[in-house]
Amino acid sequence: MHVKPIFKSAFFLKSVFVLSIFMLLYISSISYKHTKSLNESSDLLVHSYKIQFQLEHVLSMLKDAEAGHRGYIITRNDVFLKPYKSVQDKIYNSYIRLKALTLQDQQQQANLDILLQLIYQRIDLISMSLKGISDRAITEKQLAENLLAGNNVMDRIRIQINKMEDLENSNFKDHQRKYEREVVFSPVSILIFAVFSLLVFILSFIKINNDLQFFKKSNKELLITNESIKQAEIIGEFFTTQQNMSNRELIYSHNLYRLLSCEIHSFVPNLDNYLTFVHPDDRHIVVKEASDAALLGRIDRNFYRIIRKDGELRYFMSLGKFISDHKSKMYIGIVKDITDQHLNNVALEERNHELEQSIKELESFNRVASHDLQEPLRKIQTFISRISEDDKVSLSDKGEEYISKIASSAHKMRILIDDLLLFSRTNKAEKIFEKTDLNLLLGNANQELAPDIEEKNGIIQSSQLPVMNVIAFQIQQLFVNLIGNALKYSKPGVSPLIIIDCEKLAGKNLPVFITDKRKEYYRISISDNGIGFEQEYSEKIFILFNRLHQKFDYAGTGIGLSICKKIAENHNGYIIAEGQSGIGATFSVFLPK
Amino acid sequence: MPKEPIRILLADDDEDDRLFFKEAFDEIKLNTSVSLVNDGVELMNYLTMDGNQLPHILFLDLNMPRKTGIDCLLEIKQLAHLKDIAIVIYSTSASDIDIEETFVQGANVYIKKPSEFSSLKKILEQVITINWQYQTSGLDRDNYMLSL
Repeated sequence: MHVKPIFKSAFFLKSVFVLSIFMLLYISSISYKHTKSLNESSDLLVHSYKIQFQLEHVLSMLKDAEAGHRGYIITRNDVFLKPYKSVQDKIYNSYIRLKALTLQDQQQQANLDILLQLIYQRIDLISMSLKGISDRAITEKQLAENLLAGNNVMDRIRIQINKMEDLENSNFKDHQRKYEREVVFSPVSILIFAVFSLLVFILSFIKINNDLQFFKKSNKELLITNESIKQAEIIGEFFTTQQNMSNRELIYSHNLYRLLSCEIHSFVPNLDNYLTFVHPDDRHIVVKEASDAALLGRIDRNFYRIIRKDGELRYFMSLGKFISDHKSKMYIGIVKDITDQHLNNVALEERNHELEQSIKELESFNRVASHDLQEPLRKIQTFISRISEDDKVSLSDKGEEYISKIASSAHKMRILIDDLLLFSRTNKAEKIFEKTDLNLLLGNANQELAPDIEEKNGIIQSSQLPVMNVIAFQIQQLFVNLIGNALKYSKPGVSPLIIIDCEKLAGKNLPVFITDKRKEYYRISISDNGIGFEQEYSEKIFILFNRLHQKFDYAGTGIGLSICKKIAENHNGYIIAEGQSGIGATFSVFLPK
Repeated sequence: MPKEPIRILLADDDEDDRLFFKEAFDEIKLNTSVSLVNDGVELMNYLTMDGNQLPHILFLDLNMPRKTGIDCLLEIKQLAHLKDIAIVIYSTSASDIDIEETFVQGANVYIKKPSEFSSLKKILEQVITINWQYQTSGLDRDNYMLSL
């Protein structure tokens, strides 16, 4: 499971979102500030225009009054005095407005007060001249002086108004400069941030989309895995348990219901409910298993019986393991229905028991057949030997012949019984392997056969044999049997020549019937120049009681080669025979090194 | 004065074997007196009855009804006045288990009943003429099984 990339992706996305949020906040605050500054500028502009407008208005009213004054002086018509009469109130109104507009500006307020004084001076001059005219107490010269003084005051008023307008303009320009200084980077940086944010969002979208695809794929895989586990549980007849060791929460898989032959979700899957299905005698096993896992953190393989809902008795086996990550420890267990296996085992055990029984019977039969038969046979032989010694003289020729035939038959029977005993001993004797020099065993065998070798004028040629891990007495018996065989089946009138050879074989040099080519084998061959046999009988001669030759031609029980085969098998080896009728036979024994 | 005969006792349930045994000693030219008992129970009665002279050599068949040769061997070796009698196991079988067990229990010689009367005579003669001093003290596993 690719858990890590997902965690990484989540972290990446979280960072991107935090970053984006900060950028958006930044962009918003900048924009807000801009808008605010812009509003301030326009407010300031409007404010400044309002002031200028009021100042111009004051000036124009004053001019109207002055013009009316002049008109009156020329015409002495009262109509011209109309603007003058209302000018004082109007100008005061404007002053109040200007005073309010320049409330924040000390300098402008001072200027305004100076302006008001000048206006009052001008109005006073007008009213002085008007009074002089109406009283007829003013001279032409005095009037001219009054007008000149009025003109001077008017100039000063204009200058004052210009000054105030200039101040207002410069204030606005200052503000404008300050604003421009502040916002000079902002549009570019906003654009950059906006583009960057856009990029981040696009990247995030791609990433989220990829993750989504990945999650879809993972989800699909998970679904498939879940389904295959479910099917595996059904096929394998097991269910799984999960227990979180920190909160003890125990989860059973759904196959639990199937194995208990219950409807799915027909009971709450917990330990207590599960226990009701466990065989009463086995409940302690399941309880102990749960407590061992929880308290000791130990898991053993347990076997217990279950009584299914349909009443059938089943055998369950449970096992599990602990898995842990850095956060928690978990017990994962499987519980398997092993009824079939168990019943097979029981059947197998029964079969085994029967086999053991029959082997025992065979052994006792063998004991009776060989051992207990010896007793009466020995008596027969002893009695015959008594007769032949004491009463030979009084017997007829025929009687003597019969006696000798009885003796010969009894002798054959003895050999047969001895061979049978030997065969069963080869079968079941303790197999003690010892490092033994095979040359020594061959020597012992030759010594044992010495009378026969001498009788037949046999020649034995042997090459150097290895030292091997063998059951010594059995290998010696093998030599005795094979050499004895070669002597026994020699051609009449020909001295038997028996050649014993040895070679080491491995790999592809091994004969086909040895399937394990990794081992090294010694091939020990015993060849003779005897009567041989037809190759078609090469397998048959190793079978118990199988004899190729007429009973009377050659003495033998048909057990010797079976014993050889048994001995080879006891050493995890093989024996084969190759023969040519009238030429000789070769017996090869393959023993693993 | 003639030397005291070697007292020999055979415990064997088989009538024929007792006959061969007796006849063999009759033919062996040695100064022996042979007594016969029919099984293990009779043997133990004979050995524990007052007045009976104890044998020098006891030949013991293994396979006997009522009380086997091994049982007798165990009992004899338990009794202080009997444990020094030389014991020859005289059995039809020569299985490794029997040989091992009787040797461990303190028998001195093991012979397998031969199937030729001449062989029987030979091996019995060999047993009688054994240097018993050597055979009883040595407890030599290799020489325990006596063969011709």
